[in-house]
Amino acid sequence: MDATEINSASAGSLGNTAKTVLREAGIGIALIVLIIVFSLTTQHFLTSANITNILTQVTINLVLSIGMTFVILIGGIDLSVGSVLAFAAVVAGTVMTLPGLDPTVAVMLATVSAVAAGILFGLLNGLVSAWWGIPSFIVTLGTLNIARGAALQVTGASTIYSFPAAFNAFGSQTIYGVPVLFLIALLLVAIGWFVLSRTVFGRVLYGIGNNEEATRLAGHNVFFYKVAAFTICGAAVGIGAIIYMARLNIASPIIGIGFELNAIAAVIIGGTSLSGGRGSIIGTLLGACIIGVLANGLILLGLSDFMRQMITGFVIILAVVLDKYRERLTKA
Amino acid sequence: MKFGKIIAAGILAVSLTVPAVSFAADKPVVGLVMKSLANEFFKNMLEGAKAHEAKRGDYTLKAVGMQSETDIETQINAVESFITEKVDAIVVAPADSRALVPPLKRAMEAGIVVVNFDVALDEKAKQEAGVELAFVGPDNRAGAKLAGDALAKKLGEGAKVVIIEGNPGADNAAQRKLGFEDAIKDGKLSLIDSRTAHWETEEANSVFANMLTANPDIKGVMAANDSMAVGVVKAIEAAGKTGQIKVVGFDNIPAVQPLLKEKKMLATVDQFGQQMAADAIDKAIGVLKGGAPLKGWVKTDIKLVTSDDVK
Repeated sequence: MDATEINSASAGSLGNTAKTVLREAGIGIALIVLIIVFSLTTQHFLTSANITNILTQVTINLVLSIGMTFVILIGGIDLSVGSVLAFAAVVAGTVMTLPGLDPTVAVMLATVSAVAAGILFGLLNGLVSAWWGIPSFIVTLGTLNIARGAALQVTGASTIYSFPAAFNAFGSQTIYGVPVLFLIALLLVAIGWFVLSRTVFGRVLYGIGNNEEATRLAGHNVFFYKVAAFTICGAAVGIGAIIYMARLNIASPIIGIGFELNAIAAVIIGGTSLSGGRGSIIGTLLGACIIGVLANGLILLGLSDFMRQMITGFVIILAVVLDKYRERLTKA
Repeated sequence: MKFGKIIAAGILAVSLTVPAVSFAADKPVVGLVMKSLANEFFKNMLEGAKAHEAKRGDYTLKAVGMQSETDIETQINAVESFITEKVDAIVVAPADSRALVPPLKRAMEAGIVVVNFDVALDEKAKQEAGVELAFVGPDNRAGAKLAGDALAKKLGEGAKVVIIEGNPGADNAAQRKLGFEDAIKDGKLSLIDSRTAHWETEEANSVFANMLTANPDIKGVMAANDSMAVGVVKAIEAAGKTGQIKVVGFDNIPAVQPLLKEKKMLATVDQFGQQMAADAIDKAIGVLKGGAPLKGWVKTDIKLVTSDDVK
């Protein structure tokens, strides 16, 4: 059975392109319906300023969701992303505000240290869960606390501010109304898409999510791939931290609380299966956009905070239920 | 996640109660129950209390904080372990103005002096439980009114304003909203929307950007804390409306000093958090040393801070 499983798994990821397109079209249609509804019911939804806003507001969640997609595809979960984002941000903030550094050097060093801090926690998550075979739910619940505590420890619970003016201005820059920060996120989407759908590395990740034992028996070093998936997620969180700082011009140890849930929601709405092996980065992009459009549109509609929260929850459940039907439709 | 939070709270509660220090018999022990030490405001408050302990030298301080603003269980556990340890006084900044009443009642029945500070316990919950408890703390409503008045004076009658609220259900969030509304009424401003951003910078940034899209003629913003004001100021910058929309906040955190100085923010309110816990401890020790039981509301200082106060 093992040999046939791996064959059908790898053949599946290539041969099912048509089905994949159909799956993603489903999420895309949901997004388009939302956009049409908000365009018709609100006055300002389809203005260029509002689209710029939505793209800005989607960016951080999108970057975290890209990393999360890698982890969920192998059947894992990363609950630590919000805390790691705070840790990476305060490390980067500390570096960026070191006295006597040239602004350009400070920003570059800060970026490198944010990504390094993210990778550090990604490695920790991956190594511990893969080496001892502990569910990543538990391991990342631990690192959620470690990273948050470390962020508070590093800063003494205070907010870091006063970054170089050019860095602060960079965060609000747009090109033809598209925020530069969102373009960075799109670049990451493109890289993520390429790695997952066009490389052996990506195919093995799907294989692990579908049937870990079969992938192992096929001669792949599952341990390495698992650690790699968590490390990629950590690196994405590090980039997310720098984006947060560029957008809001502060780094605080209490930022990012609950961000993991939004990232997981984007990935799941985007059609990636929580049990792994099925899903795509494009789906995640659409999922993150659905969450962002919903958050924006419901405010423009003038809905109360509590109604907004209920509707957002409802949409997450609806998306997963629809996914069940789509799955049935595209299988067979 | 709920499950995770309970585990985390349990672990924290255990780890906080384990280091049972032996106390010198003559010094009274004061148990300080704080809110989230991850919040700069409470961390400064704790430092103020520690400095106060060293200065007075006639009591022993045991402090407990929580992991997050809403982690009520840790606080209840802390009160309960203080009862077990038989401390002499409990000084508490409640995370929930109702949930903390029953455990504090048990503490009082065990003969412990209880002083409530920072956020007042709910009057009705106190009445129902049949406890009389003094409150030492600032008038959040009056503070918010100060900031709101400053905004009203700057904008003039009829100007359109919005409120960015704190956590729904938190008493200080509710009081600050009421204070803003008082100022809006007095200054004849026009309130067009009011939404929560859960005290958070990023959420305030997104929520306000969306409110501004829906209402492009907003002239003023009242944010229930400074972290959210920071997010609002950034959203105004991104919309290219710096200077056209005035922002007031609350708490006077260091991160808003440059914003006040550059006039990107009009004003904030300082409630001198660092002294607040120390004041409450003084009151508790006063009672322990044979003073009359405390009653009612002992108000602490509040002050409006504008660009003139920032050097």
